[in-house]
Amino acid sequence: MTQTLSRRDFLKLGAAAGTALAVGSLLPAPVAEAARQAGFLDSKGDGYIPSMCEMCVWRCGLIAKVKDGRVVKLDGNPEHPHSRGNLCPRGQSGLMNTYDPDRILTPLIRVGKRGEGKFRKASWDEALDLVASKMLEIKEKYGPEAMVFSSTHNLSQVQFENLLYAFGSPNYGTQRSLCFNAMIVSNLMTYGMEEPARIYDDKLKYILLTGRNLLEAISTSETHDLIMAIDRGAKVVYLDPRFTKTAAKASEWLPIKPGMDLAFHLALLHVIIKERLYNRAFVEEHTVGFDELKKEVSRYTPEWAAPITGIPAETITRIAHELAEAAPHVLVHNGWRTSNFVNSFHTQRAISILNALLGNWGVTMTASAGEESGALGAPPQPPFPRVSALRLDGVPWKYPVVPLKIGVFQELRDNIVKGDPYTPHGWFIARQNPVLSLPDRAKTLEAFGKMDFIVTIDILMNDTAWFSDVILPEASYLERYDPLLPVGDKAFLRQPVIEPQGEAKSALWIYKQLGERLGLGDYFQYQDEEDYLRYQLKPLGVSLEEVKAKGYAELPAGGGEAEFSWNTPSGKIELYSDTLAKVGFPGVPTWVEPPQPAEGQFYLLTGKVAQQTQFGTQNNQLLRKYSDEPRLWMNAKTAAQKGLQDGDWVKVTSKAGSAHIRLLATEAIRPDCVYMTPGYGHLSKGLTTAFGLGASDSVLHETYTDPISGSQALSQTFVTVEKA
Amino acid sequence: MTEIKHHAYLFDATRCIDCRACMVACSVENNIEMDKTRIWVAGLGVTGEFPNLKRGTMVYHCMHCEHPDCMSACPVGAYTKREDGPVLYNPDKCIGCRYCMNACPFGVPHFDYDKGIVDGAFIDKCTFCPQRIDNGQEPACVQTCPTDALEYGDREELLKKAHERIAAHPDRYIQHVYGEFENGGTSYLIISHVPFEQLGLPTLPETPINQVSETTVGLTLPVALGWGAALTAVTAGVSLLKQKSSAASGKEKKAEEKK
Repeated sequence: MTQTLSRRDFLKLGAAAGTALAVGSLLPAPVAEAARQAGFLDSKGDGYIPSMCEMCVWRCGLIAKVKDGRVVKLDGNPEHPHSRGNLCPRGQSGLMNTYDPDRILTPLIRVGKRGEGKFRKASWDEALDLVASKMLEIKEKYGPEAMVFSSTHNLSQVQFENLLYAFGSPNYGTQRSLCFNAMIVSNLMTYGMEEPARIYDDKLKYILLTGRNLLEAISTSETHDLIMAIDRGAKVVYLDPRFTKTAAKASEWLPIKPGMDLAFHLALLHVIIKERLYNRAFVEEHTVGFDELKKEVSRYTPEWAAPITGIPAETITRIAHELAEAAPHVLVHNGWRTSNFVNSFHTQRAISILNALLGNWGVTMTASAGEESGALGAPPQPPFPRVSALRLDGVPWKYPVVPLKIGVFQELRDNIVKGDPYTPHGWFIARQNPVLSLPDRAKTLEAFGKMDFIVTIDILMNDTAWFSDVILPEASYLERYDPLLPVGDKAFLRQPVIEPQGEAKSALWIYKQLGERLGLGDYFQYQDEEDYLRYQLKPLGVSLEEVKAKGYAELPAGGGEAEFSWNTPSGKIELYSDTLAKVGFPGVPTWVEPPQPAEGQFYLLTGKVAQQTQFGTQNNQLLRKYSDEPRLWMNAKTAAQKGLQDGDWVKVTSKAGSAHIRLLATEAIRPDCVYMTPGYGHLSKGLTTAFGLGASDSVLHETYTDPISGSQALSQTFVTVEKA
Repeated sequence: MTEIKHHAYLFDATRCIDCRACMVACSVENNIEMDKTRIWVAGLGVTGEFPNLKRGTMVYHCMHCEHPDCMSACPVGAYTKREDGPVLYNPDKCIGCRYCMNACPFGVPHFDYDKGIVDGAFIDKCTFCPQRIDNGQEPACVQTCPTDALEYGDREELLKKAHERIAAHPDRYIQHVYGEFENGGTSYLIISHVPFEQLGLPTLPETPINQVSETTVGLTLPVALGWGAALTAVTAGVSLLKQKSSAASGKEKKAEEKK
């Protein structure tokens, strides 16, 4: 079963790393040397180095305590706005990712059958030459579009994109359609930006969370903000079919029927418009399309929504009144993966619009440039080659309003299987785990089967690496540089706090090496990671040494966007979107009834826990130590009716597959739902802690796509449960 | 931060989200073995019937009592109470008798049954991170807490803060600061929205248990003397044993002692 690491093993591990360091120390160790020069480390090599976390995408600032060339503790950096001195359990356990005994420390080349797990060690030269020759072969035979590239949101993604665009492939898979496409496309259509910033100030009175489980899906600073708002007496209304830890802290928990959040929000819009509770001056001055909205929502009465949502009409009306009373000090939170049905785009649009009607712009919501800043420089590079091939993921020919950088990943996978409109032959995967993250694992493995060549870059033998032909070992986030991350008025630095272990290398180095071997060296005109950072810092006029010492660079003060203008075609907040109407979608949010489970079936819900991030942290021994056993939640009374007991092994079956898992009989879930923690049930035997733990939600999830935003409808899978 | 005369923690159950960052932080900071923990979560979890549910959790670790029962019960002086708060355990003195486990009203000291007598360090418990607090840092659990459910500071000031907070929100809090007087006072203070018993905390008198027991023992002098003599014999024996290198011979000796 699972292995745990005793303190003795931990010490042994340390001794092994120490020996490696001693051998390597014939050459000067650059990380320690640089850190000494920056004044972080004393003559013995002990001290504190500021950097950035990568245990999730929130990217908190951290301060690493280093002793004898090893990182021994991570604390939150008080100067970073995302951490404010705190780290969540994942951030605290980050050093165990770096010191995971399962780390891949040399390039590996497959020798057995795919999925058999047989690899041999290779030199970087051999592995890189092999990858480049395979990619060039595929390009020559089938064209550059026959190589699929996919990667999940990370700081070196800009150079990953360089590689794919320079190579000339249109096929780019990101994780976003499995996460928050509906939210992003909705905000783009309404506000002209991906995600407005939220302001939790002292005056904030009322927060409406639609499945946004902020106290378990932790974004350190925002989780802190929410708890402090509750502390100050703000009212929190929380919609979720499960009694989560957020539900426990909310003023009011509404266990809404899954997928029906849209009806709830449409009814709120109805009451607020019908009773003229909206901010009339704001709507008149800053929005377009009010009349079309008014006409559409006139039919969505609370009485109509009550039987659909399971929430009484008077409750819906009361909440609409309370929101209007508290306005503009209200926040209707978009959430990230809210609802997860084919109607999710409309749900998100209704939420975006509700905020506009309450006139909270500039009060609790404001413009955000996201993680981009025009103030940073970049190494020079030529323009990208023209791409003429269609994208396999249907953007934009099937999904006209989905941004190219975001895509529809599950559709990409499906079209690989179908070979429609053409058949790709190679897959380049960086820091991503599609075998577990995409719905319907069997289908993803079928897509893998179509590939002549698969290469994966990662720090661990995750399930995707397990099925790859070549694995390139990346340095962990505590061992490498990444490009700077702009947050507000600062650009934060991830810098190595220890030497990379084994032969692990940074992504910036790997992409450059590959680029050169592919004849694309012009797109990677930097000597090394530090040189790349110097290009970025050039326009700011600060030295890398200064930034290393502080952990961040100051960015020039904003002056970009005016406070009350929006990057939409009308320049206003679009309650009615002509862009949507022109491509044949409803211009205002409209009721779309989602499918419902048949008799004897349950909604299969998934959702985050505070101790794990997606599919990538289950092998972390510290997190394993403090995680609950991943079980299938079922309402205790429903379980009793089915003759099932807490702790029983059950078989869960969907159209896509079936899984065995232990049952958790609990009152904390609606009787028509079951829930499982995602990210377990790994196939790779190279993950000695995670292998054999729990069951995979990806085995069960069926693939359904929201036709507007391209979001995977992750809660639309219905399952049966029986005693195993 | 103002000068800290008496180190203390304040735990606010209304803010705790049971994320366990404190537990991981403690494990890393103190290099705790993978099968052990110095912090655990107690409390009711979810209670009630769907959809009328409640949840309360508490982060549990050594209470750092003002009159520590572990110290009072320890026959060899393995426990000490620092004047500024922390209760410390010295593994080099410990003979593994487990009196502290029985004495602690909070069930804090954990005994390692895998350890042989010569290995020492039988007991594991929170140390208040002296390596941090003596260098101006917060204890690891407090420093990382994403919701400020755990706070650290001077006991008097934290008591003031706790009283102000519960007085400001009478609808939200039980009107009591646990640890202000319980068992003669603790350096871990707790405020909560659910009754303290539901967080797994014992109901204790204000007079420290050990004062009661010490008085009683004092009255029965002959018994106390006899008891003391017996314990001294055990202590002397174990001290001798600790100098031996072989665990096997240690066990033999122990058997002899018992006879």
